[in-house]
Amino acid sequence: MLRRGSAYSAFVAALMTFALPGPAGAQDTVKIGAIYPLSGNAASAGNFSKAAIELAADIVNNAHPELKDIPLAEGQGLPGLKGAKVTVIFADNQGTPAAGQNQALRLITEEKVHALIGAYQSGITVTTSAMAERHGIPFITPESVAANLTERGFKWFFRTTPVAGDFARAYSAFIREQKAAGQKADTIAVVNENTEYGNSVASVIREVFAKDGLNITQVIPYSANTTDVQPQVLQMKEKNPDVVIFISYTSDAILYAKTMKDLNWKPSILIADNAGFNDPSFVSSSGALVEGLINRSSFAIGKPGSVSALVNAMYKKKTGHDLDDPSARAMQGFLTMAEAINRAGSTDPAKIQAALRATDLKANQVVTGYNGVKFDEKGQNILASSLITQLKSSVYIPVWPKDKAVATVQLPYKGW
Amino acid sequence: MSSILLQVIVSGLLIGAVYALFASGLTLIWGMMNVINFAHGDFVMLAMYTAFVVWTAFGGGPLASIPIAAAVLATIGVLSYFLLVRHVMRGPMIAQILGTFGLALLLRYSAFWYFGSNFRTLPDDILGPPFVFGDIRIDAPRLLAGTLGLVLTVLLHLLLTRTALGSRMLAVSEDATAAQLMGIRPERMQAIAWGLSAASAGVAGALIATFFYTSPTVGETLVIIAFVTVAFGGFGSVPGALLAGLIIGVLEALSAYWIGPVYKDVVVYTLFVLVLWTRPQGLMGKV
Amino acid sequence: MRRYLLTGILIAIVLTYPILTMGSPVHQRLGALVLLAAVGASAWNLLGGYAGPISVGHAVFFGAGAYAAIAGYTHFGLPPIAGAPIGALVAVSIAALIGVPTLRLSGHYFSMATIAVAELTRVLVTNWEFVGGAQGISGPAVPRTFLDLSFISAMPYYYLFLAVLGALLFLTWRIENSKIGFYLRAIKDSERAARSLGVAAGRYKLYAYMLSAGFTAIAGSLYATMFGFVDPESGVGILISVKMLIMAALGGTGMLFGPLVGALILVPLEEMSNSLLGGKGAGLTFVVYGAIIVIIARFLPGGLLPLLIPYFQAKGEEIKRAEVNRAA
Repeated sequence: MLRRGSAYSAFVAALMTFALPGPAGAQDTVKIGAIYPLSGNAASAGNFSKAAIELAADIVNNAHPELKDIPLAEGQGLPGLKGAKVTVIFADNQGTPAAGQNQALRLITEEKVHALIGAYQSGITVTTSAMAERHGIPFITPESVAANLTERGFKWFFRTTPVAGDFARAYSAFIREQKAAGQKADTIAVVNENTEYGNSVASVIREVFAKDGLNITQVIPYSANTTDVQPQVLQMKEKNPDVVIFISYTSDAILYAKTMKDLNWKPSILIADNAGFNDPSFVSSSGALVEGLINRSSFAIGKPGSVSALVNAMYKKKTGHDLDDPSARAMQGFLTMAEAINRAGSTDPAKIQAALRATDLKANQVVTGYNGVKFDEKGQNILASSLITQLKSSVYIPVWPKDKAVATVQLPYKGW
Repeated sequence: MSSILLQVIVSGLLIGAVYALFASGLTLIWGMMNVINFAHGDFVMLAMYTAFVVWTAFGGGPLASIPIAAAVLATIGVLSYFLLVRHVMRGPMIAQILGTFGLALLLRYSAFWYFGSNFRTLPDDILGPPFVFGDIRIDAPRLLAGTLGLVLTVLLHLLLTRTALGSRMLAVSEDATAAQLMGIRPERMQAIAWGLSAASAGVAGALIATFFYTSPTVGETLVIIAFVTVAFGGFGSVPGALLAGLIIGVLEALSAYWIGPVYKDVVVYTLFVLVLWTRPQGLMGKV
Repeated sequence: MRRYLLTGILIAIVLTYPILTMGSPVHQRLGALVLLAAVGASAWNLLGGYAGPISVGHAVFFGAGAYAAIAGYTHFGLPPIAGAPIGALVAVSIAALIGVPTLRLSGHYFSMATIAVAELTRVLVTNWEFVGGAQGISGPAVPRTFLDLSFISAMPYYYLFLAVLGALLFLTWRIENSKIGFYLRAIKDSERAARSLGVAAGRYKLYAYMLSAGFTAIAGSLYATMFGFVDPESGVGILISVKMLIMAALGGTGMLFGPLVGALILVPLEEMSNSLLGGKGAGLTFVVYGAIIVIIARFLPGGLLPLLIPYFQAKGEEIKRAEVNRAA
């Protein structure tokens, strides 16, 4: 009697072990932390990026066969982890390096995220990724462009976005091409807001242009969030450069657009570097004043029915705005991370790290206009690239390079 | 004088008049009640949103939004007085800084929560095309803002110095106990002062909204300008605020044009500190 | 005896907090952050609490310490903490320089002047290549030696900050009970009266200012060592000055433990409200933060500590009376 009872109990016990949670790695959800400015001055951009990342998570977790070659879009969840879904946990970096780092610690030790993305502002990415590095958690920055981020010898840090040097080379090539086609572009003014973003891009542009023989005649750094830009515009009106390159956040971009109209001055070519001029708030509030503006973007809506157009439609449905460049890059950063985790087949950080190093996405497998995603030994995506776009009727259309152009560029700049 | 230089000076005067307007509201309560209001910039921000709502809700331009913003902000000002300021005044100066700073955060992030973080602007041509005087172009919103700013500041000064209400308010600022013995109710005067101060911020905000972007964090930038203008002009002096505002506006514009935009703040702050060191009561303040 | 028991328990908790929270890195780090904030706020308190002048520009000194630490690493390869004495020296010199003309100003004028000097410094720093300009500078990405003080765990930072806070509070306590302390209190109460009694008000205010500046710089260097990055906004921004001030105000200015109490409330409040509400992006963190500050200011204009002290005193009386009754 007793022996049969104990054998029976042993059998039941053995059965029950299958019901217990399995070893770490075969999780039900994969957690990715996202640290973005959800309050403070950059909150507008931060919240758009948040919406884009949420959309990316939806693409991964639900069936989207219409997105063809985008990895993980077709099915539900991560097939490499038995269909596990991806959860994004957002944290607000409040615009300070300290808050970013503190939130990173919380996400890693309390929310137990398996990977991190962020943190938008380069200075905050410095401290936030340092925390990830110390804890051995993979970190992707989809949009911070400071050069030193990939110079720290970090092993867990990856960057999918092109950096300032790439933009400068794109502008340089574009301007030289226009010059060759007969457009006047002898004098160039650079107007940049005086925080880390504006300064770093401006100085790289100056370096690259000097090498390429382009003549920068005016450099006008100004304090961001200024109340009046009339003096700056007047300075330019006086010198009348052919080309002006703006590097501004949204609020200043709006001010400049209005002021140039008020003072009735425009250059032949107006180039605006991303950030502010790409922000949907800017386009909706001031788009009509800057018809023909040249911008650079890693994302273009593209032809109807294309993957990018479909993604844009989804985003527009979600937020009421077209997908802007930084948000598209945030989306791509997330998708890259998800794809790597899927290939790793595990949530073990070291396996994800190895998978990231081996990432090799082709141009048709990315939502943004990159040539692909492939990381060098410093963690930089060497296939990252930008398009030059032009604003036509409040929509940015790619006009360069020729093989990705949808329309020809219309110069000189029309404005209002 | 080159026309561009003239344009710079004119644009400086115009923005300076707006600075003067919201600084004069601030200097009023500062002088009367010795209270620093860290939330003043956020009063202006709320007024800008009011103007935006007036526009989107029923297409009203500045003619409608100015009185509405003034009324809305006056209410908020009086409420702030009764609910918060009256109590923190009993404490040390630092309690006022604490209280008004908390108020600033509260207003700022309530606006953030309700309106979202996006930047909003009013349509560019809401008041028609720019005015052209020879080579000088002045856009209508700035012209309106500048002139109205000037007019209202002068009116505020006249209210304080030429009306019975004004004398009562000034009496309270001189000596609240003595004023009480004369039958003046200090709390009522102070509440009115807060209402007026907030209303001036309200008008300034509605005016600025016609040419400046609206976002929840605008107050941060504006409040420092207000503080500097008030201290430069002398606490409690509305004419001082007017003079200081105009000087700062022109100085900002000229430095931005001659030296470079990043240094305009340096010039203004340096001048400000030097003036304080040599003339501690500001331009027109009482010693 | 029971009085001492309570104090003893508090001290034991303070000393062993990092060990008690070893299972929760976030809470452990919170302890270090509270102490760091308390160092800054207590340094501010030396001037604003004891001597009287309300400075809203202490960020200059904080920045001096933070930048000295990181610049020392970036340009000379020094461990960041080596920049602390340099930063303190710079801060004390700045205080001596601007203190003389600025301390002559009364009340609000003084506060406004300090804001102007701080903002001025921020703009200058933004355009100074040596300290990285607008982009800021970073400390060692990977620690080279122990001296770089770059730890994964917050525990070493906790004890380091505790030691510095302890030293600062001890110094403050000695000053409080010394002749200088009496002079400062007299000056704070009524400068005119103090002067008429022969107190060299200007000199003592300047000493307080310089001491306050030096310790604020040390707080800055400690911050830079822990976070490894500084830029104009995080080093010399106005929010730094304001936070120091409101922490001291919340806890109780002019009291030894006031700033610490303020830090104990505000730092966890900020961190936890961000953790709970921040991710939603609606700025609710700051609505809550602002509302609580407003409520405390409204009901306790003198700060929290003055409220608690009578409570503890009453408790002490109660315990004494109980002991007396039992003995009887």
